[in-house]
Amino acid sequence: MGKTTYKRLKGSQSFRQRLLLSTLSSTPIIIDEIRADDMIPGLLRHEMSLLRLFETVSDDCVVEVNETGTRLKYKPGIIMGGKNLVHNCALTRSMGYFLEPLLLLGLFGKKPLSIRLKGVTDDAKDPSVDTFRNASLHILKRFGVPSEGLDLKIEARGVAPEGGGEVLLTVPNVQTLTAVQWVEEGMVKRIRGWTFSARVSSDFEHSMRFAARGIFNNLLPDVHIFNDHKSGPHAGKSPGYGITLVAETTAGCHISADTTVSCGRTDETGEVDDEKQERKPAEDTGVEIASWLLQEIEKGGVVDSTHQGLLFILCALCQQDVSKVRVGTLSPYGVETLRNLKEFLGVTFSFRPDPDTATVILTCVGSGLVNLSRKLS
Amino acid sequence: PLKEKGRKKNLNLMQIVYGAPASSATALTNENHENSDDEDFFKPKGEHSKNLGGGLDAGHVNSEDCSKFVNYGNLKNWKEKEVCEDIRDRFTTGDWSKAALRNKNS
Repeated sequence: MGKTTYKRLKGSQSFRQRLLLSTLSSTPIIIDEIRADDMIPGLLRHEMSLLRLFETVSDDCVVEVNETGTRLKYKPGIIMGGKNLVHNCALTRSMGYFLEPLLLLGLFGKKPLSIRLKGVTDDAKDPSVDTFRNASLHILKRFGVPSEGLDLKIEARGVAPEGGGEVLLTVPNVQTLTAVQWVEEGMVKRIRGWTFSARVSSDFEHSMRFAARGIFNNLLPDVHIFNDHKSGPHAGKSPGYGITLVAETTAGCHISADTTVSCGRTDETGEVDDEKQERKPAEDTGVEIASWLLQEIEKGGVVDSTHQGLLFILCALCQQDVSKVRVGTLSPYGVETLRNLKEFLGVTFSFRPDPDTATVILTCVGSGLVNLSRKLS
Repeated sequence: PLKEKGRKKNLNLMQIVYGAPASSATALTNENHENSDDEDFFKPKGEHSKNLGGGLDAGHVNSEDCSKFVNYGNLKNWKEKEVCEDIRDRFTTGDWSKAALRNKNS
């Protein structure tokens, strides 16, 4: 090969997808001007932590960051996977941030991945670990990922700011992903939910469950929300509570909504995240998340807005065959994903709006990514 | 409001997602026009302010990396029975034949 040519990118946007797609497509990248004009310039703690996670999972990757952190040079290595790996996630983002790219990375490793992540399990910004367990993993199965060896165990909860949670993720390897024809949403047949409370009274959970169930009363009798009160070492280091709701349809779609309430983090400037300053009653949180879920159902599509990115990446990574999927209105993150997929894999989707349902049907031909390391072994 | 936007015939998603072909001036104007119409729909990505030739990397280069959708705006009051009726047929408790119509266009 000789001299390495780097793809040049700018800014901190799509950091995870850029690293992921760079690795999967073996495209070295240089990212410049990462928050160059910000008060705190350069890569943030969770981004550095993510880089270390990529190093943990792969062999021979090269990460170079300049002194201010505004420039990253990344040369992907071979995705190894492996057992008994451990990663301490930076506490500035929750595990959802790390799990999203890690899931896909794990699929294309040399060996099945089994990794223990420590840190913040749930917050309001990223999908909860319950969402991963009960929605995201099901989406992978659609694309031919075997359910055996695909699991996320929540061993201890931990919320912001101190974390202390632990999950165990296992991901099997695949040779290729199978293209899907997935346009039928089906009808919602049941709603399942999971609440948790850590270092606070389980009353919060009860209020959220009761309020959320009340919202579904008019629509569906088959609603069950499980509770998960943690204390002692399984409750992490900070107080908080959260709720995840998943609607399951007759066509096997899983539509999710979740949130977590905990103390605000202080960012590096010492200011508390403004979004967390007002605290509403737990009932209101239950009503809110139940309403989010219903609005997602109303929007339509085979996945919720949050999972559009994952869905599109999976379609683009498939064998060279046509995938066809239906989503509700395109989410901003979904659009960003589509752009990154074109940039790295050269996969362009075509769109057909369906005016009767206000949904969009997307089709693409997969890039035909093959797990080379697995073939050799 | 989202529904009405989805129904708009001239909503060219190809252009909104991938940008105007070959940065031609007319296409760009067209795109800007589209965006002003869909302001609240596409807002979080940041105004789509694409420079000529700037391609995909123009715009909000340091926007936050977050998949979770939380921008639901004003929530409907789902406690009301009438509000629930709008999505009744999306549930197994609704009208199955009406629900099946959703797939006729796929």
